[in-house]
Amino acid sequence: MIVSPSSSSSSSAKTKKAMKKPGLGDQEETKWRTAAQQRIYGRRLIDALRATAPSGPQAVKEAADSALALTARGQSRWSRAILLSRRRPSCKFLLKARRGRMQPKPPPPVLKLGAPASPEGKKVSERLRLLGRLVPGCRKLSAPSLLEEAADYMVALEMQVKTMRALADALSGASLNAAEHAVSDE
Amino acid sequence: MEPPRSSGVGIDNSGEYSPEIAETLRFEEEIQSLIHPSSFDGSAAPTGGGSFTALLGLPANQAVELLHDSGAREPLASRIRVGEHPVHRPFHLPLDCSSAFPSNATLVDRAARFSVFAAEGSPASSSGRLKAEPQDSDSPPLDPIPTGPAKRKDTGRSKAKVTAKKSKNAEENTDGDKLPYVHVRARRGQATDNHSLAERARREKINARMKLLQELVPGCSKITGTALVLDEIINHVQTLQRQVEFLSMRLAAVNPRIDFSSLDSYLSAECGPVTVRNGPGGVVVDPSLWPTDATAEATRRLLVPQFWHIDLVPPQLQPQQSLTTWERDGAAHSQLLPNPTTSLFLYDPANSGDTNVPHRTAKLKTAEDRALNL
Repeated sequence: MIVSPSSSSSSSAKTKKAMKKPGLGDQEETKWRTAAQQRIYGRRLIDALRATAPSGPQAVKEAADSALALTARGQSRWSRAILLSRRRPSCKFLLKARRGRMQPKPPPPVLKLGAPASPEGKKVSERLRLLGRLVPGCRKLSAPSLLEEAADYMVALEMQVKTMRALADALSGASLNAAEHAVSDE
Repeated sequence: MEPPRSSGVGIDNSGEYSPEIAETLRFEEEIQSLIHPSSFDGSAAPTGGGSFTALLGLPANQAVELLHDSGAREPLASRIRVGEHPVHRPFHLPLDCSSAFPSNATLVDRAARFSVFAAEGSPASSSGRLKAEPQDSDSPPLDPIPTGPAKRKDTGRSKAKVTAKKSKNAEENTDGDKLPYVHVRARRGQATDNHSLAERARREKINARMKLLQELVPGCSKITGTALVLDEIINHVQTLQRQVEFLSMRLAAVNPRIDFSSLDSYLSAECGPVTVRNGPGGVVVDPSLWPTDATAEATRRLLVPQFWHIDLVPPQLQPQQSLTTWERDGAAHSQLLPNPTTSLFLYDPANSGDTNVPHRTAKLKTAEDRALNL
């Protein structure tokens, strides 16, 4: 697991920033949208890029997703699913996390809503199934937890896109700069 | 504290009262002890009509009766406290904890006579509550009761059925402090079965989460209908995932040419001087380095790397200029400190466009031109 020395200080910054607001959505949103979180993720991403010596875009994407899941600290189902599917050697840590955090056992996989009328209910359940396939690790999940996970995943994705875009811009700018310097020095 | 007055039961000032009132007070104590079976030491905890959650620790009938009492018989309850009408006592009595009472039969008869629960039916009372039967048999003589309390009884019953359902689930933990209940109110005209109540609670949960998601996805609040909203959500998630893929392609393309040591210096330059100069604003200035999708994205893309460009190559640009821009950034954004949630969204389009662009365009013209000419 990538542990950067700045993570402790930035985690304190995160706790300072993560004001606990009433309502579960607000909590998660503020958690993901703080600048501190972006910095944490950016650092992790850079470390991952440096470490993996990526061989292609898919490796970069996987590294980015793993870094994102790490930043989630395994508190959400999708993050655990990502980490479990990628890094097998460090399964122990995640298993402990699973035992500790997944104490409220998820309800049995029931996706169909109880009382909707047949034409609309089918559409809705279809869409829910689609959503479950999109969010990693949430295929067989009940509707309310699936929606919760989807909300968290969406906010995390937004942060990931923001960070990656900024990083890409910075790197392209820096590489341009380096190229110019190389040219001008010669 | 006041020992000489206490009767054999241990109540403080019952010595003043007549034995009948003492008996009623004793019953009240027993009821209290039943309400809080954990605190069985007989302390007269007066939570009788008080907290709603305390009621939920009771089995169904108790909750029903107490609810009904608190709703319809407030004056009676107050009178009972003083001990005037022992006859109305039975309303507080649980019908299933019959073993706790010494003279059960008389109390049950009284309850039957005064109970208002005509056709109480099965849902509220759990199975095996035989005491309900004498009530049902006595219900016809109770018809002359006016419709006022009947209406209140209905809503009370629907409320009670919810609480009955919920309290049945958590009958084990009768600790009144931490009860994980969701208080669902059954509205008028809605079915009050256990099933429909459970379904309604579930749907409300789902609808709450859907509302959250709607707020997250831009442009989703206008859409009505679960299926369409879900469509939008799925679309948005797919869009975000595609964006991640494209950006990863970009990063992969840029990667081989990176000098990672320069990245380190970029990172330290980003955080070091910022935190020194803009004490509390240091964190907020970081958003300037992470631009969002705003309308002026193109300019920002050019400007931001040039901004970093300053930090990476300090000797080229005068450091005082970079200082002033940082300070101006800090001043502009210190006002955003109290709203970390809005900082990342309102910041870029609203503020940076106005304050930063002129600075940067003025100072970085040459660097920009170079980038553009490439």
